[in-house]
Amino acid sequence: MIVKPARSLLSLLIGLSLTAPLFAADADRWEIPVAVKTLDNGLTVVVSEDRSAPVVGVSVVYKVGMRLEPKNRSGFAHLFEHLMFEGTPNAPEGTFDKVITGGGGRNNGSTRPDYTNYIEVAPVSALEPILWLEADRMKTLDFNAKTLKNQQDVVKEEIRVNVKNQPYGGFMWIDISQQAFQKWENNHDGYGSFVDLENASLDDVRAFHRDYYGPNNAVIALAGDISPEQGFALAEKYFGKIERRETPPKPDVSEPLNTKEKRITQPDALAQVPAVAVAWKIAERGSADQAPFAVLAEVLAGGDASRMYQGLVKGKEMALNIDFLFGLTGPFEYDGPTLLTLFALYKPNVTSEQLIEEMDAQIAQIVKDGVDAEELARVKTGMLSDLNTNMESFLNRADSLAIYQALWGDAKVVNQVPGKIESVTSDDLKRVAAKYLTAENRTVIDRKPAAMLAPAAAPAAAKN
Amino acid sequence: MTKTLIALVISALIAPVAYAEIAALPKDLPAYSADKPLPVPEIAKRVLENGMTVWVVPRDGVPRVDYVLAFKDSGLAADPADMPGMASMVAGMLNEGTEKLDSKAIAETAQSYGGSVAAGAGNDGMTVFANALASKAGPMMQLMSQIARTPTFPEKEVALAKANALQGLKAAEAQPGFRAERAMLTAVYGDHPYARTQATEESINAVTREKLQQAYKLRVRPDQTLLVITGRIEADAAFELAQTAFGDWKVEGEPLKATAASRGEAKPSFVHLTREGSVQSSVRIGRPAIPATHPDYVPLRLTSTVLGGGFSSRLMQNLREDKGYTYGAGVGYRGQASGGALVASADVRNEVTGKAVGEFFAEYQRIGSEPVSAAELDMNKRYVAGGYLISNQLQGAVAGTLASNWLVGLPPEFLGEFVPKIREVDAEQVQAMGKKYFDPKAQSIVVVGDEAVVEQLKEFGKFEDQ
Repeated sequence: MIVKPARSLLSLLIGLSLTAPLFAADADRWEIPVAVKTLDNGLTVVVSEDRSAPVVGVSVVYKVGMRLEPKNRSGFAHLFEHLMFEGTPNAPEGTFDKVITGGGGRNNGSTRPDYTNYIEVAPVSALEPILWLEADRMKTLDFNAKTLKNQQDVVKEEIRVNVKNQPYGGFMWIDISQQAFQKWENNHDGYGSFVDLENASLDDVRAFHRDYYGPNNAVIALAGDISPEQGFALAEKYFGKIERRETPPKPDVSEPLNTKEKRITQPDALAQVPAVAVAWKIAERGSADQAPFAVLAEVLAGGDASRMYQGLVKGKEMALNIDFLFGLTGPFEYDGPTLLTLFALYKPNVTSEQLIEEMDAQIAQIVKDGVDAEELARVKTGMLSDLNTNMESFLNRADSLAIYQALWGDAKVVNQVPGKIESVTSDDLKRVAAKYLTAENRTVIDRKPAAMLAPAAAPAAAKN
Repeated sequence: MTKTLIALVISALIAPVAYAEIAALPKDLPAYSADKPLPVPEIAKRVLENGMTVWVVPRDGVPRVDYVLAFKDSGLAADPADMPGMASMVAGMLNEGTEKLDSKAIAETAQSYGGSVAAGAGNDGMTVFANALASKAGPMMQLMSQIARTPTFPEKEVALAKANALQGLKAAEAQPGFRAERAMLTAVYGDHPYARTQATEESINAVTREKLQQAYKLRVRPDQTLLVITGRIEADAAFELAQTAFGDWKVEGEPLKATAASRGEAKPSFVHLTREGSVQSSVRIGRPAIPATHPDYVPLRLTSTVLGGGFSSRLMQNLREDKGYTYGAGVGYRGQASGGALVASADVRNEVTGKAVGEFFAEYQRIGSEPVSAAELDMNKRYVAGGYLISNQLQGAVAGTLASNWLVGLPPEFLGEFVPKIREVDAEQVQAMGKKYFDPKAQSIVVVGDEAVVEQLKEFGKFEDQ
């Protein structure tokens, strides 16, 4: 279970890994209606009409995340996300939640490397108040020392509950990024150090809001019981008068593939079962290798039918589970250096080296033989179905559309992903596995219960 | 993670924070528009000749079908006292081999239908969940039927499941919430079967293929089975699929016994579980409550929502937004077929452990001693109604709720009646529920954390260290 930096544990996002199709009947194809309009102030509005329920999903995505936070303020983008809920001069602290709760809605927010999203789902009768609230906090915030202190405390508790007080402590996304990447933007801890969080000032909050939270740096998507005309008109009504604000130039965060393998061992004071994270740098967004990566991850570790589940959990019986991650996002939802990470808990009678050897054998088999037509077809069918499912919830649909628009500049990518996946061939998988899933490009963390790493102190070892 | 991981006595009450009366709203904030009529799912119902119940809710959304197959009185509460958690193992093994397909073939077949099929166990029943692309509705029904009717519990799969469950248990023991839950279940339910729903090393080791087969044979039978079908399928076509897949399934043996009622009250207990190096205390506060079919069910659900059901709830506003003690605080009502519980939780930094318990109890005291304001009551009713609408948008959630309601004894109509019933609850009832169920003196407390925090808990009771 990967717990992402988010406003709340009441996570409303169900599954981010996108997936999609071949040999599925035409009846199984689901074209998602997408209408896009950009307001004069630069705010892009996406609407997906679906009248099947009197409900609407809303996602406001800002094109700023962990990569762009100030260098001596690790964790600031996420702390800032919390402060977006803490009131404005017009709507004091508490108003935001009460209005949405009273409208029957749910809300949340989360911070990722390349974006920060603010999401609501509610009966459509609450839509206008929700848009008013989103526009209000886009204009300005109540820069308030008391709420800053309060949320510094809350975020520290979030880090305690998800990292410091948990076995494995998010090492499969936090620590692995620290080890695999070279540039600060990509390799710092996006949850942040307590010192950096405590040093955050109201001036930092003001500057971040001014620089990154203008309408021209944002996308709003609406999905559900609303037409594009209505959605565009409401966006104009509530957001149209917000002035655009200059956004700082983006640093070059790109990194080449790694050229030397890195393996480290970490002690875990709380864990009782060892775990391993094996990560490779992947292709950049928009690369011809991106869709093959999405399919390759599913072939290798996407569920019970995957090769590594069948080979390592079943078969060799070495691992308790095998899961994959595309950093903190999905295979089409990043816009900078990202890792494909395999994460497994493994049994005490095997070593991480043996486990990785088996993983390598599985990868080598794909490099050599590719994937046969039957397997490729069923994996793609599963992906199509997952993609459809991700579009079912109006909340997830709005959020995916806003993310595609923010990262790809085009929400209609949602209807292209199935085709991108369908066109992946066995040769694509061979090529991508051979190019990226190499030892040189790999970073490994072997996370062991501290007791397993202290043999000298153990009486049994002393006897030897 | 993986499917094999086993997925007051208070002397000095701290004065409650003055609850911010619903503050005046911003003057130019637009009003909510008129609510649309509440959609109520139309459920087509049929009973097969063998007694199996089939409900269909056709939908025109995502091109997918969702199936939920629920077996009543077959869950964790039906496990022998020395075999806690066995129902999870029985359910987990259903898709690990049938008379026609092995485990790998089942996984590959499900994937080729664009779906999955897997089972799990709750207190009151085992449940199989399946879904597939709409074009594969028929084949997936057949696959699910095989899994439900002809599982073989292969020796090799049982051995692997046991080995993995033992490791999974070790991994779970490292999580404070898992240990807290176990202690709270005992505090709430005593020696009732609802108290022993977590597997133990002994119970996992005692599992054999024969025991699993025997439990399956006793517990899974058509006349105590419900199949819910939702999605892109017509009712007649769905009934036909059900008839073909399950019509020739025969009833055998004696019907299952319902679980005996669990207790409604318990002498509070106070448990501290030491966790070395813990930087937070996992605080759980709980007591026995009522089964889902009890007349208090609806007002109690609303009361627990006011107290601890979301961001605007009193516990969240107090412990998180005002005090900054925690990332999240809340309380949940668990309504089961033969009993229930109210369990509150928050993970807080060590130094505020005692204060956090004090704030919980201040809010508990207040909800029973003063009426909730009209604005706060209305906000919470609308929040519950919104939750229904949001969940009703998802066809799988509709199927899941119908099945879980059925397992706890609620009729199918209850789904559509819930919101209207919630709207009828008044402030007096909420206060009465508060007084009846949230009296601090009736609550057990479990804290998992550093040894030193016990010192902060003295005023709440005499804590037993385990």
